Amino acid sequence: MSELEQEQKLHATNHYLYYPDEKDIPPYLAYGFRPVFLLLAPYMIITMLLWGLVWSGILNIPFMNNIVIWHVYEMLFGILTAGAMAFLTTGIPELFPGMVPFVGKRLKYIMILWVAGRVSFWFMDILGVYIVAFLNLAMLGWLIWFAKDAVLDKLQRHASLGYTLLALFIIEAWFFASQAGLASTDSMSILKVALGAIVILILLALRRANMESINELMEDKGIDDIYISRPPKTNLAIFAVIVFTIVEFLYPQNSALGWLGLAVGASILGITADYALKDEFILNQPFVIYLSSIFVMLSLGYALMGWDLLNPNIDAINHFRHFITSGGIGLSYMVVMIIIGTIHTGRHLTSNIYTHLMVGLIIVATLMRSLIPFFEEYMSELYLFSSIIWTIPFMIYIKVFYSFLMNPRADGIKG
Amino acid sequence: MKFALKILKDFPAYLWSGWGAIASILLFVAFWDVGNQVYGDLVLPSPLETFQTLALMLQDEEIIAEINTTLYRASVGFGISLLIGSILGLIAGFFATASMMSRPIVTILVGMPPIAWIVLAMIWFGMGDETVIFTVIVASFPIIFVGALQGTRTLDGDLKEMADSFNLPWHMKFFDVYFPHIFSYVFPAWVSGLGMAWKIVVMAELLATSDGIGATLAVARSQLDTPTALALVVIMIGSLMFVEYIILEPIKREVELWRS
Repeated sequence: MSELEQEQKLHATNHYLYYPDEKDIPPYLAYGFRPVFLLLAPYMIITMLLWGLVWSGILNIPFMNNIVIWHVYEMLFGILTAGAMAFLTTGIPELFPGMVPFVGKRLKYIMILWVAGRVSFWFMDILGVYIVAFLNLAMLGWLIWFAKDAVLDKLQRHASLGYTLLALFIIEAWFFASQAGLASTDSMSILKVALGAIVILILLALRRANMESINELMEDKGIDDIYISRPPKTNLAIFAVIVFTIVEFLYPQNSALGWLGLAVGASILGITADYALKDEFILNQPFVIYLSSIFVMLSLGYALMGWDLLNPNIDAINHFRHFITSGGIGLSYMVVMIIIGTIHTGRHLTSNIYTHLMVGLIIVATLMRSLIPFFEEYMSELYLFSSIIWTIPFMIYIKVFYSFLMNPRADGIKG
Repeated sequence: MKFALKILKDFPAYLWSGWGAIASILLFVAFWDVGNQVYGDLVLPSPLETFQTLALMLQDEEIIAEINTTLYRASVGFGISLLIGSILGLIAGFFATASMMSRPIVTILVGMPPIAWIVLAMIWFGMGDETVIFTVIVASFPIIFVGALQGTRTLDGDLKEMADSFNLPWHMKFFDVYFPHIFSYVFPAWVSGLGMAWKIVVMAELLATSDGIGATLAVARSQLDTPTALALVVIMIGSLMFVEYIILEPIKREVELWRS
């Protein structure tokens, strides 16, 4: 390899030592993230448009008993299992280079399981809770089994991801128990606990994604500095989220929860301080802006929820929660889909009008959805248009990234 | 000048790194709110009520006047001990005998409880500004004195020799060799001296005067007005934190940067 080539080498080329020798693997099954993103982008569009139509009363789906539960569950667990699958099947072989990537037929079966989980949930009133619970829990259970090496790793470097997934598995089982009448807890409260766990998972995953992508980006652009996302900052935020989630479950209207919300907001914003590097200025880099806006969104959500609880004149906590869900979680899926879809298909991370639009529109949609309480006269328009605008980035994703995902890596490497 | 510019350049990043600190303060406030729910409003008013009282107080001209009185006393007292403490300390550091001699005296000054100084000062000066200012001086003087003493005491003889052998002009010797070293000792001492002064001024006022934040605190106590008392505490802590973390800490960081 000549020196020039050596210099241009991407980090993502040394992500595995062995590639399985299965024959005739189609490109869309050549690596864990490919089928996930191929399905996730249209799924986001379908589920959000369906929700928008059902909620605004244009469409009536009789078999969905409680449509709010359906919406929240699908946006949390339905998407989480796919996102976690892409992250783990792509990330774990990279973090533990001895591991063989998960590709081909087996990957296809797991994707079918995921699709079965989604469709079954829509028909839960017909199929009954137990079948749906089995399909959905099997998917998450498989993810945990897949990530077991990370949890059992002697150095415990990435064990926190595994434990959080385990916690989510228990929460999901609890949710289905509540749906089946085996647990008396209100399903919506359980979903709020799940949101807390998902935020923790995202903070943990982002710390790793951040380090990889920003350092790779700087290397690409010849910026001579190193970005380190410091664990104590993430851990403080995680601690605050855990306390907030537990207190919200036990005392949803308590004033102490208001202060906790503000504390979570500040602690998550604190993570962005790591972007101020020692020597170089990187805050003008688009990908740094994309990634930091995830933290800003999450932080705004918790802070506004806290403010809401402390302020007797406003009662809009579930609107503000959309800063966390549509904003923070939505953006983190979007940005991760962009980054993995580019780097792991053998391309250099570049920003363009499409990536700006994808990130920008999610932020616009989130602002429209979350700030409804301040513009109540336009409520129904905001509901409808925010859900439509939120789906546009995923349409752009299909347009720009499908060719990347459907074709072999640009640098000729397998995967 | 370059130094000041560097502080200004690093200031936004420094300020932004404060979110973690704000988060832990807010967690503490949540804990305080729980205390309020357990013990009731009379014992521990809620943080929200306290901050609302605080907002009202800051619009009250009388309270502003009290704050100014306290500020005046603290700054005069602190200013005097800063001046005398630094000068005497720096001089004492140059002479081994003087530093040896001053050590036990400083121990006595530090060891003497401030409350005893207040009692003595009340006998000597009566009830008024002098008592408070005197107490502030005695309490913060030893801290600054010791810092300054350490500064000159620990000057590196080899560096001095090197500066001499290169025939550095006196201003370079002072600004590039001695000053950074001495300042890196004196400045932190000033910061802790200021913290001490700010705490002592309120205590002295509470016992020895009829005006100032301390006296207002005494009135709040006698009327069992816990929200006002806590709001005053918040003013004191808030102003101290502002001065310490927004103004002094950035300077301190730059000053101590060269010390690995």
